Amino acid sequence: MAVTAGRPTRGALLPSQLSAITSTRTGSLAIFIVRRILWMAPILFFVILITFTLMHLAPGSPWDKAGGRQLSDTVINNLNIRYGLNKPVTQQFVLYLWSVIHFDFGLSYQYQNKTVSGLLLESWPYTATIGVLAFLLIIPVGVGLGVLAALRQNTRIDYITMGFATVAASFPNFVIGALMVVVFGVLSYRATGGNFFLPTAGFALDDHLIMPVLTLALLPIAYTARLTRASTLEAIRQDFVRTAWAKGLPERLVVTRHVLKNSLIPVVTTLGPTFAFLVTGSVIVETVFSIPGIGRAFVVAIESRDYPMILGTTVLFSLVIAVANLVVDVAYVFIDPRVRLT
Amino acid sequence: MQLGNHLRATALVSVAVVVAACGGSNAPSLNLAPADQQILRANNGVEPNSFDPTQQTYTYERAVGIQTFDSLFRAKADSSDVEPLGATSYDVSSDGLTYTFHLRTNEKWSDGKPVVASDWVYGWKHFLNPALAAGYVDPFFDLTIKGAGTYGSVDVSSASAIDAYLNGLGLSAPDDKTFVVALDHPAAYFKWVATLWMAVPLRKDIIEQAAGGSFASTDATKAEAWANNASTIIGNGPYKIKEIASKDHVTLVPNPNYWAPAPHLQQIVLYEISDGNTAYSQYQTGALDIIGVPLADVTVVRNDPKLSKEAKLIPTLSQYWISYNSTRAPLDDKNVRMALSKSIDRDKLVNDIEHGNGKSLGTFIPKGMNGYDTSDNAQSFDPAAAKKLLADSGKAAQLAKMKLITRNSTASKTLNQFLADQWSTNLGVTIQLDVIDSKTVTRNIRKGQFDIYGLDGWISDYPDQQDWFDIFVTGSCHSLNWGCVSDTSYDDLVNKADAESDKTKRAQGYSQAQKKLIDNAVVGFMYQPYEYDLIKPYVQGLTVTTTDDQNLPGDGRYNQAYITQH
Repeated sequence: MAVTAGRPTRGALLPSQLSAITSTRTGSLAIFIVRRILWMAPILFFVILITFTLMHLAPGSPWDKAGGRQLSDTVINNLNIRYGLNKPVTQQFVLYLWSVIHFDFGLSYQYQNKTVSGLLLESWPYTATIGVLAFLLIIPVGVGLGVLAALRQNTRIDYITMGFATVAASFPNFVIGALMVVVFGVLSYRATGGNFFLPTAGFALDDHLIMPVLTLALLPIAYTARLTRASTLEAIRQDFVRTAWAKGLPERLVVTRHVLKNSLIPVVTTLGPTFAFLVTGSVIVETVFSIPGIGRAFVVAIESRDYPMILGTTVLFSLVIAVANLVVDVAYVFIDPRVRLT
Repeated sequence: MQLGNHLRATALVSVAVVVAACGGSNAPSLNLAPADQQILRANNGVEPNSFDPTQQTYTYERAVGIQTFDSLFRAKADSSDVEPLGATSYDVSSDGLTYTFHLRTNEKWSDGKPVVASDWVYGWKHFLNPALAAGYVDPFFDLTIKGAGTYGSVDVSSASAIDAYLNGLGLSAPDDKTFVVALDHPAAYFKWVATLWMAVPLRKDIIEQAAGGSFASTDATKAEAWANNASTIIGNGPYKIKEIASKDHVTLVPNPNYWAPAPHLQQIVLYEISDGNTAYSQYQTGALDIIGVPLADVTVVRNDPKLSKEAKLIPTLSQYWISYNSTRAPLDDKNVRMALSKSIDRDKLVNDIEHGNGKSLGTFIPKGMNGYDTSDNAQSFDPAAAKKLLADSGKAAQLAKMKLITRNSTASKTLNQFLADQWSTNLGVTIQLDVIDSKTVTRNIRKGQFDIYGLDGWISDYPDQQDWFDIFVTGSCHSLNWGCVSDTSYDDLVNKADAESDKTKRAQGYSQAQKKLIDNAVVGFMYQPYEYDLIKPYVQGLTVTTTDDQNLPGDGRYNQAYITQH
């Protein structure tokens, strides 16, 4: 399709092979994905630039201590030389970019001789495991509760579900986490003489996961349930649903074929950011349950002005968010036929 | 010191006898749990930033360091003197400038090789390599060891400059079992410096192997490559590292080649739980054996019939004080500083703010070490006298313009609000809190940009007064002497006492120096903090001393502890 109606389209300017690719649905999807991935480079550049600037503007140096005797000027000077902080800030920035291009995120200041990429690889699996489990819990429970409440609107089921969602959304998760620790950990231990209780801290692929995953999932479940309920209610009132009912379709088919297909579109939109939020870790959950994950590592890095660690974590988080958004956009193509790739 | 000061291992021998007498498997009196239950689980709070003792600065780092590496000496349990570890005795030359340490003959590394004097020389040089920028290098070695004084001016980008500096240090090994340290000036406290956790021997062959061959002294990355891997952390301490589970725990197992009798504890797991409440829940659910009680739960524990029996209040060799910026009027007037110091009810401070975990103390040296002396009560709580001092100075209006710099944390705000209330009630002066972000506070106090700062304090590195009095010597400004008070007569007293070998004269010198600090209200001395810890009743044999880590009571002598049947 080199020429359409006498005028070249944008596709015509591309080499012929490429234009052949763009002419198919999967082809245009591939182009879309490639373009979005290429866009990540400038996004990352600005993320690094902004983080780098803010980080250096923040008061304090990596060598300050919160209390007690401070390091002497001599030691601080030698540390600055050891980690290249004696160079001009602009030079530090260029050097950092150069290393990042080579996938070298530098050495942490806080943990001697540990690379930032090593530290991230070390702590991310913990965070990701809990995040993915929470995500897997959110979809069926959140969507299920929302649909249930919408289909039984203004009944007791609706009130109970939405009451639960309101409570879960209003309690901060450090309260929920601490409360669970007391009830299922300490009090259960006391009541059963140590025979039944949930472990209150640490990470292991067993009952250690229950409380952290629940604490992390509760708020997104509440949010997803409310959103699903609202969009389902809207879908139920649409003409095509009324038609479906009028045709005499059973409820199961009306819900799965006609209602959910439409009502889940806004839910999917939020699932991308929710997923990114979950796998980048929650400081609170990781602190309350003492999980050696990335969320807490990030906060500790900021507190101690561990510059390479702050930058490395920010870059990783930006990538995760960008990819999650990309996946959602691609998913749109399949669930909403109205969406066209540009 | 005319005669060599011999430290024969009397204390150690008696300990060994006790352990041998009641240790072993045929000791029903101890009610020992089986070997697979000889596991101690304690909370260290934070992951060490380095496992190389020479690079360790914080208590949570030292906690691992002292298990894996032995210094020449350690403090006796009662802090009265040093007792042998890596060295069994030492001599001091008559001019006080040469210390000869006689090393333990049967000492071995955890891999079985004998510890030799050149390992000590290597370890101390590694510590003093300016390119590695060890955090705790000053003010100990660089001012004391011969040739170390130019530490700050060595060009750290030049390997030859570093090598020249290191080779010029007064460290030598005349034979395998003698380690000689030449000093720059007489330092009667040097035996205590030899107890420090970073003054350890290191293995050249292991470090070079981990670095992939010999390396330039400028290369900090290669020099520290060994310290991240449990298999290359070869130490001479009672325990060795079995596992480093980053940000979760460190597991220690007995060093099979250690010179002392084999310990009962087969594993020590030091957890890195940063949140005190989480550690408290872990203790209550039986997952931890020893924890520090979070401040918010102190009252609960005291009133709990079961937990209160497992709790222990342990004095620490620490003291807290308020710093006054003596370069700013009216705080340059010692009577104004004294008025401020005399108007704080320290008992109320300890009871209301610290929930009783401490001892009000209006003097400098804490209880439990030489120099503790409360006879000078110039700073003691007396609102009437404080008011009079301030009225006589005529600077009340000026004082009301001063601000109390406060870190933006709950603990700091609560404490400083208390201080401001006290000044308002007892002195009739309103002093505003200046609440700012913690990092900015650190920067400002370093630059002397504050009026009043509190509380700051000191934890003893070793129970010798030199460790304390050097804080307020002129020139130590901006590292902990925030107020920058300078008094040459104080400096003279301290410098003389630091070098004095006669115990009585030394004590007198420090005593006069302490009187100056108190009477001139250089700072306002407040209280000695105590630790409130929970220890499971089945953990026995702990020797709790004031030099232990705050959250790890008894950690200086874990190899004598054991778990009973439970």
